[in-house]
Amino acid sequence: MDPQHFISSGIIELYMAGIATDEEVGELETAMAQYPAVAAQVEAYRRSMETYVTMQGIDPQPDIKASLFSQINNEPNLQEGVPVPDEDLQQPKVVSMQETKSPSWKWIAAAAAVLLVGSLILNYVFFNRYKEFREYKDKYQSLLVSQNSILSKSNLYKTRLEQMQESMEIIQDPKVLKVPMPGTKAFPEALATVFWNPSSQQVYLKVNKLPEPTADKQYQLWAIVDGKPVDMGVFEMGDTASLLQKMKVTGKAQMFAITLEKKGGALAPTMEQMYVAGKIPG
Amino acid sequence: MEYAPTYTEDELVQGLKARDQKVFSYLYDQYSPALYGVIVKVLNDNSSAGDVLQEVFLKIWRHLDKYDPEKGRLFTWMLNIARNTAIDILRSKSHKLEQKIQNIIDDVHAVNGPLAVHPSTDYIGFSRILEKLTKEQRTLIDLAYYKGCTQEEISRVLEIPLGTVKTRMRNAISQLRNIINK
Repeated sequence: MDPQHFISSGIIELYMAGIATDEEVGELETAMAQYPAVAAQVEAYRRSMETYVTMQGIDPQPDIKASLFSQINNEPNLQEGVPVPDEDLQQPKVVSMQETKSPSWKWIAAAAAVLLVGSLILNYVFFNRYKEFREYKDKYQSLLVSQNSILSKSNLYKTRLEQMQESMEIIQDPKVLKVPMPGTKAFPEALATVFWNPSSQQVYLKVNKLPEPTADKQYQLWAIVDGKPVDMGVFEMGDTASLLQKMKVTGKAQMFAITLEKKGGALAPTMEQMYVAGKIPG
Repeated sequence: MEYAPTYTEDELVQGLKARDQKVFSYLYDQYSPALYGVIVKVLNDNSSAGDVLQEVFLKIWRHLDKYDPEKGRLFTWMLNIARNTAIDILRSKSHKLEQKIQNIIDDVHAVNGPLAVHPSTDYIGFSRILEKLTKEQRTLIDLAYYKGCTQEEISRVLEIPLGTVKTRMRNAISQLRNIINK
């Protein structure tokens, strides 16, 4: 309701007479708080009512005042003011309804909303951090794994490199004789090489091409010294075969040969199973 | 009263809140006739009106701390105390409503009651008001204001329909305001 409409509605008159309904009183008090024009009208009505009352004033008997003041002076608690709630003291509740109730609700609602929004923001931030953290943790673990594998590979390569270097040194040593052993008639595809240092008597073997034996068999190297076969040891195949393998020592030899024997080697070579053989050059 | 110092409303309130008895004395001199007039009008009982007036001023003195100038003028506050106190006493008596409000219905045009009228009462002004209000308008105002009657009570006592009470009451209060504000 707009203020002018409200003023002409007649509620103010009923309010002044004290016969407005609770609902009407509530509406009026709201309107008074909202529109100064309505509040001014109510005040004008109130003044006219008060003038009406004042005009009918009556002088009280003079002894009432004396009695009142002696009561005030003789009752000390009256000077303190007694905190007794009294309905009669209630002033017209002009704007009190809105002043006392709504702000507290508004503040509580506002505070709750702020807290909720704050909590949601923090939830979001911390959840994101948690997700990031988990990603980092996964990455860290996979890095750790790959670092370990690189480390072990690098160790492997280092070992391989050292072995290769060792092999190179042996091969490049001018004292070392290279004895190629081509395949025999029965195994023409086979090939192996012996590196022999006559001064240190050390014999090395390089397998160039030999078929992989069954699990119960092993190749055995022999040196032929003055027509007799001398055991130079059994050797491994597989990865190990790609390198120079250190065999036994011999001070003399005219040729070298490899036979396939039972696992662990034999005392004498099985001639039918001779795969390669080669004479020492010179 | 001509010899009493005058105070502004602010000075009055400050002095009263400071429990200044001189200021309270001034307050009594200034407003006791109006409050007494209300009490007499409500109770229509000369013997108890003096005691009620004293009770009202004691309440005012005791509860000055509760008066909030932002919610209304001091006189409005005191008038409410006087009116509410007197109406409470009126309503607590075990008489029938018709007996309690008889003075309003019977003697509505009597300016001079059996009691001495305050010398400062504006006879001429008041007579002028009464001339411009009908008997019924004044009865309506007084029943509501001095007796605290509800719409239903007024409707029953004056034997007019409830809706008519509202309409006539609006007119009466509106008329009163127009006369006084002229």
